Amino acid sequence: MSETVTMTRLKIERGETILKVDGLKKYYGELEVLRDIDLDIKKGEVICVLGPSGSGKSTMLRCLNLLEVPTGGTIDLKGEVVFDGSKPKNLDELRRETGMVFQSFNLFPNMSAKQNVSIAQIRVRGRKKAESDQRSIEELTKVGLAEKVDEYPDRLSGGQQQRVAIARALAMDPEIMLFDEVTSALDPELVKGVLDVMRSLADSGMTMICVTHEIGFAREVADRVIFMDGGYIVEQGPPDEVLGNPKEERTQKFLGLVLDH
Amino acid sequence: MGDFFDIFFNFQFMADHFSYVLEGFWWTIKLSIVGGICALTWGLILAVVRQLPGKPLAPVRWIVIAYIDCLRGIPMLLTILLLSSGLATMASQGVIPREIGIPQWFGQSDYFWYGVIALTLTYGAYMAEVYRAGIEAVPRGQTEAARSLGMSHGQAMRFIIVPQAVRKVIPPLLNDFIALMKDTALVSTIGLVEAVQAGRDLYSEFYNPSGYTLGAIMFLIVTIPLARFVDRLIKKQNEKFQRGLP
Repeated sequence: MSETVTMTRLKIERGETILKVDGLKKYYGELEVLRDIDLDIKKGEVICVLGPSGSGKSTMLRCLNLLEVPTGGTIDLKGEVVFDGSKPKNLDELRRETGMVFQSFNLFPNMSAKQNVSIAQIRVRGRKKAESDQRSIEELTKVGLAEKVDEYPDRLSGGQQQRVAIARALAMDPEIMLFDEVTSALDPELVKGVLDVMRSLADSGMTMICVTHEIGFAREVADRVIFMDGGYIVEQGPPDEVLGNPKEERTQKFLGLVLDH
Repeated sequence: MGDFFDIFFNFQFMADHFSYVLEGFWWTIKLSIVGGICALTWGLILAVVRQLPGKPLAPVRWIVIAYIDCLRGIPMLLTILLLSSGLATMASQGVIPREIGIPQWFGQSDYFWYGVIALTLTYGAYMAEVYRAGIEAVPRGQTEAARSLGMSHGQAMRFIIVPQAVRKVIPPLLNDFIALMKDTALVSTIGLVEAVQAGRDLYSEFYNPSGYTLGAIMFLIVTIPLARFVDRLIKKQNEKFQRGLP
């Protein structure tokens, strides 16, 4: 345990590689969902992953914190192996370093917003109740929900729930945030509030990987855009290039379809 | 008509022997409460063990499944007889310590404890299935959210999944509790004078079944309000899901 704790305290400077993925594969039986994914993610980088549904982008994201166990390939976090091609290592430590926000929010319905944000701080980070409460209120205030700390999820709008979910992940002091189509389940008028929170998070220097359909957000905020299709990374690069002047035919076709409506 | 009342609702007879039946019913209550609490706990343990993840623990899961299937598949009367005679025999032959084979913990008789153990073993198995349904009804996203926050499987179960699951299954658990309460009557077969046996004693002595009626009334005084309460809980839960519909 003590070894793994030192691992999590390793300092990574901005611009250094924080997460390295090599030859990541995922099969569901015969179905190949991820074929051969290589990724090198730098600290502070904001990455947006685009692609048609079924392209494997959500599966890739879920593999990064091992909610899905990959079929092959390796994942290194801060130079430490967290997946060696067959089984996870330092699993709980990896998950402590990576916050995840889901399309369906997944707030705990039997807890208030504050308790949602506090529970893992207390049980996983070992913070005292008073300390965690204070931190929860801080995080909820940052996402614009200072008045809602004692509300239960069923009394919050989708956008508010999603912002609680973001606060919940951030309160764990993650080094990387994973966003899995976090605005896809929201009514259009609620999307902006969530994207604003993500934008300010990006500005604060958080390392972010966002699977998204929000092309505008990707263009504006991403340092790098990844386009996936059929389980491969088809094309990646700065948003100007991938979105403005895509080289690959599949990217052009996809962008044509999503931008033309 | 007068005969009917004389036979089944002989109030004079009931009044004369009220305290005897009540004393029996007090045992019914004690068995139900102690057995009920133990069964609720044991059932939850079984359900949680059954959900343990990973290949290495598969044998543990199989054992639990086999246990649940067996205990649900044999009459509780048989469990009581097998347990009481088995434990007593093993204790008398020195295979197990006397304090375990013929338990008289907290000043209660061994009959009482045999009853409690049998109720726990049998109803624990029933309730494990109820808890399991509750655990499986909690959306997968809840586990994923908990795990993504760094909780272990055990922490996710304890702090996130089980509290939600238990809330969902309180009505069916209470139904099982009502069934358990009625099955305490089976403990009379090994010598405990609970409400039903009290009626039998009175009948064999006075040849009047009003003692049975009195026992039935005592049961109903507890079970009918419980059944109504369960219904109200279910209705309330349904309303929560149907909010907004006409």
